[in-house]
Order: sequence, then structure tokens, then C-alpha cells
Amino acid sequence: MMSQRSLVSVVDDDESVRESLPDLLKEFGFDARTFSSGQEFLNSDCVGKTQCLILDVAMPGMSGPDLQRELKIRRQEIPIVFITAHRDENIRPRLLEQGAVECLFKPFSDTALLEALNAALQVNWTTGVSRRRWGNTIE
Amino acid sequence: MVNDEITWSEQLYRIFEFEPGLRITLERIATRIHPDDLHMLGEMVDRARRGAGDLQYEHRLLMPDGSVKYLHLLAHRTRDNDAGSVYTGAVQDVTQRRHAEEALVQARSELAQVARVTSLGVLTASIAHEVSQPLAGIVTNASTCARMLAAEPPNIEGARETARRTIRDGNRASEVITRLRDLFKGKDLIVESVDLSEITREVIALTLGELQRNRVILRPELDDKLPAVLADRVQLQQVILNLLRNASDAMANIEGRPRELLIKTEPDGDEHVRLTVKDVGVGFAPQEIDKLFEAFHTTKKEGMGIGLSVSRSIIERHHGRLSATLNDGPGATFSFSIPCGPATDAVDPGAILTAAAMDAHHVVRNL
Repeated sequence: MMSQRSLVSVVDDDESVRESLPDLLKEFGFDARTFSSGQEFLNSDCVGKTQCLILDVAMPGMSGPDLQRELKIRRQEIPIVFITAHRDENIRPRLLEQGAVECLFKPFSDTALLEALNAALQVNWTTGVSRRRWGNTIE
Repeated sequence: MVNDEITWSEQLYRIFEFEPGLRITLERIATRIHPDDLHMLGEMVDRARRGAGDLQYEHRLLMPDGSVKYLHLLAHRTRDNDAGSVYTGAVQDVTQRRHAEEALVQARSELAQVARVTSLGVLTASIAHEVSQPLAGIVTNASTCARMLAAEPPNIEGARETARRTIRDGNRASEVITRLRDLFKGKDLIVESVDLSEITREVIALTLGELQRNRVILRPELDDKLPAVLADRVQLQQVILNLLRNASDAMANIEGRPRELLIKTEPDGDEHVRLTVKDVGVGFAPQEIDKLFEAFHTTKKEGMGIGLSVSRSIIERHHGRLSATLNDGPGATFSFSIPCGPATDAVDPGAILTAAAMDAHHVVRNL
């Protein structure tokens, strides 16, 4: 049963987000893993298994968009929901244009997050090519 | 100067646009002087008659065609004869320079405004970011908690844990606010023996150019025999500077009456000294008096409303009182009184907006 849950990975340098989000994600019915930096996520065994990435925009070192680019280069096109504490209305259209599913401003509601996750997983189901590649990676 | 005989160079005739050879009298000169600057002519003549050594004035001419010229006059008493003193001087048409200066001041104040808005914007953004992080944790934890309680059966242990985290993140958010307060909290008072009249004179010297440009007539009445106070010189000077600037700003758009600014120091009973700044500016609405000293309250378009609030907290840290009254005539009077005695325990931990914040304000202002 547990193995059928979709894995949502959270990359955020803020500890209170890393601590609080997994419980909510589990309440939603997802599996959750957290990482404090983009590098830590890339080094983990979760890259191929992650079905949706909740990604902080501004982080020291590798930023959220940096990680997004790195994943593209590696042809790991995981749907991304950005989260940010910088309430800058200009940033959202820019991130969406570059392929993000959603950009939520902290603090965001549980329903807004759930909608974004559903939209992200929808992307998963419709992009069959990506699905097969993930399937291969998992094997 | 008793007979008021005046001899001009050709150039001076050209500046005043008088027919060459015309007999120059004070009355004739007065017809050219800008009405708002006429008082300067009277004052200059008074001073010359009293035998002042040097005369130096900047005033304007209002020409028949409506144009305005700026003149700089410098005169020196060269010798005395039976009829009185003889002054030799030079008058320079500084209109071009003045226009350039005004353009510079304008540009500088626009720049300062941009810088102030920017720095406030940056500050606001960083506050928002710092507070949003724990808030995100609070909202997420509370949502999780509600879901755990709504589950069948309710997950009491999980809910308790997320509630505990909610509290902790709430405390984190409030720590951010505390740190922010510390940021604004001033340095400790550096107390020394201070002559209030002397430090006022220093501030006046600093602002004289600015006051002259705003055509403010400063009337200092500084008591030379004031008892010394134990106080922080720089902080008190910031208060004085602030009161002077406010008074000058309050008169910036006053026409039709001289922009007189009285600054006065005097003993206040046996154990206090008092400084008073009185202007004839726009004043304030009587019901506004309670708000004058609140942070972020301002009547100025370009003001942040920090000056008076900081000034009051500085004066209170000196165990003094800063107050405002409306004049019987136009304008307002601001005045503070501080005790002469030791101010050793003057540091008030409650004063959160003090000199540091004001320093920053002035750095931006003086950009």
C-alpha cells in the first residue's frame, strides 16, 4: 500500500517548512522526503522517484530555479511547485513560464497546496514519456 | 554711511539695469530688491550705521520684466571719515550659480527620496521574508493539526505534536520582531558636560546655508551663562538639528511674511535648561498635537515621521521633556527642558527608536 503513494520531495533551507510540510503531505496521502539544499536532493536516491518537487525559490548556494535548470539538463523533468517568502508578483509568471506548475507565497493554505499538487500530478499522468523514463529509473 | 552716498561701477548699473549715471539712492535700490528680501536691505543699512566691519548678504532682485536675479554682496568698512564709515564692496550676479545650485538641490532631494523609499522598501521586504518563514510553518502545522483531529479516529498524538510546533514557530516569529527592535535600538548615551548654547551654535553653523537658501531669518537668543548639563552631545545636537529643520520646512511655502525662526536657550528654574525653537510656519491642527510625537506620523510629503518620535525618546532618555505648542500668531513652538544634574542612569531600555535610527535617517537625507 505504502509503495503506491506518490513521493513528494521538499527542498527548502527553512527548517520549519521541512518539519511541518511532511506531516501535511502524509495527511494528503503522499509520501514525503525533505532536503535542506538542491545539492542534497541531487545527491539523494529520490531524484528518479520524486513525482512532485516542492521547491523553495531563494536558498543559499543553489537556488530553486538553479535546481530546476540542473534537472532539465539531467533530463529529469519533475513537476515543480515553487514556494517563496518573497511576495513578488513578478516572480510568479516568470517561474510559470519556465515550466513550474505553480508558485505559492508563504504562508500558503493547505487547500492551495493540495490544488497545486493535484495539478502537478495531473501533469505526470499526461506526460507519458516522462512516466516511462521514471519507470525505467525506478527499475 | 550717514549721508548714504553711494557710488557704483558701470557693471553694477548693468546688473540693476539702471541708466548709467543715474544717482543711486537706497530708495532707488529698494525698487529693484525682491519684496521678500527687502528686510535684508534695512538690516544691512542698520548694521552699516552701527559700524559693522564686514557685510555679507545674498538677496534677490525683482526686475521690471518680472525676472529674478540673485546677487551676492560683500562689503568691508575701509575707513572712517567725519561723515561716518565708508564701505567698499563688490556685488556679484550669482543667478547662474544659484540656478545650478537649485537644480542640484532638487536632484539631490529627488535622489534622497528615491533612496529613502528604496531603503524602506528593502527593509519591508526583509521583514516580510523573515516573518513569512515561521508563518508558513504555523499555517502548515495548524492545517495538519486540524486534519489529524478530523480524521477517523482522530490522531491525537500527531495533533499534539503539530500544535507544539505551531507554538514554537509562533515564538520564532515573535523573535524576529524582537531582533528587529534591537536593530532600531540606539546606542547607549555617551554622557559628558555639555553647554547647550555652544552645541546649539554648532548646529546653527551646520545648517546656516540651508536656512539661508530657504530664506529663513534666524534669530538666535543663546544664553552665554547657561549651567552645563550632563548629556550626550551628539544626540542632543540631533534633536536640535531636527527641530531646526522641521521649523524651516514648516515655513517653506510661507509667503507674505518674513520666515522668522527664533532659537533660544535659557535656564528653566534652578535645575533645568531649556531650548526653544519657534517658527511662523504652517503649524499643526490642534487635535494633531497628541500624534505629533508618534513614529511614522508626518505632515510632510517627503517625511518619514521619525524625527520627532526619535527626538522625544532622546530627550526622555535625558530625563527631560519635549513639548509642542501652537503660537498665538502663525506657526508652532517646540521646546525641550533637561535637568542639569547627573544623568548616569539615563539609559532607558524602553526607548526603541533612538539615535541609530535617526542617524540612518539623516544619512539618507544628506545623501
